Amino acid sequence: MTHRFALVLFVASAVLIAVAYASAFLPGGAPAWAAWLLAFGTATIMLAAIMLGALRSALTSPGRLAFPFAFTWIVVFGGFGLALALPPETIDGPLWLGLPRRAAIILFGVGLLPMLVLPVAYARTFDDMTLSEDDLLRVREKASALRAEATRAALARETLR
Amino acid sequence: MIALLQAAPLPPLTQPTIVAVAVVYFIIVASIGAWAARRTHTAGDFFVAGQGIGLFALAIAAMSATLSGFAFIGGPGLIYSIGLGAIFLVLPASITNSMGAWVLAKRMRLLGEVRGLYTLPDAIGARYRSRLAQGLSGTAILIAVIGYMATNILALGLVINAIFGTGLGWGIWLGMGITLAYSVSGGILAGIYTDVFQGSLMALASVLVFVFALDVGGGMANISQTLLAADLDFLGPWGKLTPLAAISFFFVFGIGSLGQPHVVHKFYMLRDPRRLKWYPLVMTAALIVSLLLYFGVGVAVKTLVANGSLAALGNADDATPTFLLHFTPVFLAALVFSGVAAAIMSTVNSFMNIGAAALTHDLPVALNRRVKNELRWGRISTVVISVAAALLAQVSGTLVAFLGIFGWGLFGSTLVPALAIGLNWEGATRQGAIASIATGLVLTLLFETLAYFGAYSFPTGLTVSGLALVSSILMFFGVSWLTRADAAGSIDPDVRLIMEV
Repeated sequence: MTHRFALVLFVASAVLIAVAYASAFLPGGAPAWAAWLLAFGTATIMLAAIMLGALRSALTSPGRLAFPFAFTWIVVFGGFGLALALPPETIDGPLWLGLPRRAAIILFGVGLLPMLVLPVAYARTFDDMTLSEDDLLRVREKASALRAEATRAALARETLR
Repeated sequence: MIALLQAAPLPPLTQPTIVAVAVVYFIIVASIGAWAARRTHTAGDFFVAGQGIGLFALAIAAMSATLSGFAFIGGPGLIYSIGLGAIFLVLPASITNSMGAWVLAKRMRLLGEVRGLYTLPDAIGARYRSRLAQGLSGTAILIAVIGYMATNILALGLVINAIFGTGLGWGIWLGMGITLAYSVSGGILAGIYTDVFQGSLMALASVLVFVFALDVGGGMANISQTLLAADLDFLGPWGKLTPLAAISFFFVFGIGSLGQPHVVHKFYMLRDPRRLKWYPLVMTAALIVSLLLYFGVGVAVKTLVANGSLAALGNADDATPTFLLHFTPVFLAALVFSGVAAAIMSTVNSFMNIGAAALTHDLPVALNRRVKNELRWGRISTVVISVAAALLAQVSGTLVAFLGIFGWGLFGSTLVPALAIGLNWEGATRQGAIASIATGLVLTLLFETLAYFGAYSFPTGLTVSGLALVSSILMFFGVSWLTRADAAGSIDPDVRLIMEV
C-alpha cells in the first residue's frame, strides 16, 4: 500500500520535473512557476525514493518513519518555497545565525536539518524496519536452500545426459 | 554545466614545509599499499576487499571517494564565482546518505553475499537475468570512468606540479604512478585503507581551515554584511544562478547520488550487514565536516576581495591556494595540499577498480565469456585503464574538462532507474532497464557532445544531466509498464527474497 503510493509519487514527481524542464524551451525562457514545480517535484521525488527503499510492500503505513519523512519533505519544499517567495535581500536586512534570511533557510534548513533527523530515524528503526537478526538469518537460510536446490537440479541434468 | 574539476594551473607551492608534508603523506600511502598487497589473494579481495570492511572504514572511504579534489579547489572557486548557487551541488548531502542506505545499501550487501557479486552491473544482471543490461551498464560505467579518471589525473598532475615543481607532464605520470602502484598491488583493500587515512586528513584540514576562514573574515555576520554591501546576489539563496538551475543541481546531485558506483559499490564490502545501522550517521557527519572548507574559503576569499585585503583573483580556482598561502600557518596549508592530493587519489583509486571490474568481469559476462584469472586480469586492466586516462589527460587539452562534466550525469542517468528503482520495484522489467540505460547513455553523450562543439546548447536553467536523468526514469517506468506481462516471472527467487526483506 505505502510502497505503491511511493511508486506513484515517484512517477508523478518525475513527470512534474520533466514539465518544469520542458518549460525552459518556451519563448522567453522558463516561467516563474517552473522553479516552484521543480522544487515540488524534487522534494517529492527524493521522499518517494526514500519511501520506496524504506517501506516493505506489506506495510500499510510508514509507522515510526512517518514523522521524519514528513519533516524532511516539509523542510526541503518549504525551504525552497520560502527562498522563492520571500523578498530579496537588502544591505541592512536581518541576519539569521550570521546569514541573510533566505541564505540561512537554504543552508541551515535544507542543508542541515534533514541531517539531524534522517540518519537518526534510520538507526532507530533499523532493527525492526530495515534488517533484523531474524531477517538476516531467513535470507541466509533460504539462499542456502535455493543454492542446494539449484545444485541438485544441475546434478540431475548431468545424470540424465 | 559547470566543470567539476581543476583544469587550470595552481600557483606555485614549492615551500620546504609543504614539500616535506607531501613527501611524508606519499610515504604513508605507499606503506598502506604495501600492507594491503600482502592481503590481496583473490579477485574477491581485489574488487570487494573480501567483504571484510568495518563500518567506519566503509563510511570514511565512501566519503573520501565522493569528494575528490573538487571539494577543496574547484568548489571554493565556484562559490567565489557564483556565490551561494554553488552550494546546491553539495546541499543534498544531508539527505543522500540516508537515502542511499534505505534504497540500496542493505540490498546490495545481501546480493553480494548471496550471489557472490562484486560489481554494480552484476547486480543489474542478477536483478533482470539479463546479460545485455549488465553489458550496457558496464559500458556506460567504463566510458564515464575513463573520463572521470582523466579529469582527476589532470587535477592531480596540477597539484603535484604546484607542490614539487615537476612540470605538468611529470606531475600527471607521477600522481598516476603512485595511485596505480597501490591500486594494482593492493586492489580496493589498499584503496579503502588509504581512503580512511586520506578522509581523516581531509576532515581535519577542512575544520581547521573553516575556523581560519571565519576568523579572517571577522565572523559569519561580518562576512555577510561585507558581501551584501559588495554584491546583493552573492549571498542570495541561488547565488548568481537562476532558481531553476540551482534546484536542478539539487535534483541531479540528490537523486543522481543513487547511481554513483564509487560509493554504491562499497556496500558490497561491509563485513557485517547489521552494522549498516550507523552508516548514514557516520557518513553524513564526515561529509558535512569535510565540506566546511568548500563554503568557508569561498566566502572568506570573496570577503577579503570585497574589503580590499586581497586583489581580485584572475582564476577562481586560486581561491583555496591563495587563502592558504596568505592567511593560514604554512603547516596547515601543507596539510590541505596533501589533503587535495589525497582526495583526488582516493577518487582515482575507486574508479580504477570499478573500471577494471567492468573490463575484466562485466563485459566478458555480457558476451557470455568468463575471464579465467580475474585477479591477474583485474590488475592488468587497472594498468591499461590508468595509462589510457593519463594519456587522455595529457594530450586532450580542453577535452578533458568535457569528459569530466558528463561523468556524474552518465552514472546517474544510466544506473539510477535500473539499479536503485529496480531493486525496490518488482514491476520493473528487463526491457525497461535496457531502455533506460540506453536513454541515459545516448542523451548524455549526444547533448554533451553537441554542447562541447557549440552546435547546440540547452536554454538557461536546464542541464543535460538533469534532462537525461528524468528522461531515463520516465523511459524506465514507461517501458516497464508496456512490458509488464514479463515482470512477474523475471526475478530469481533469491533476488526476490532480498527485494522483499
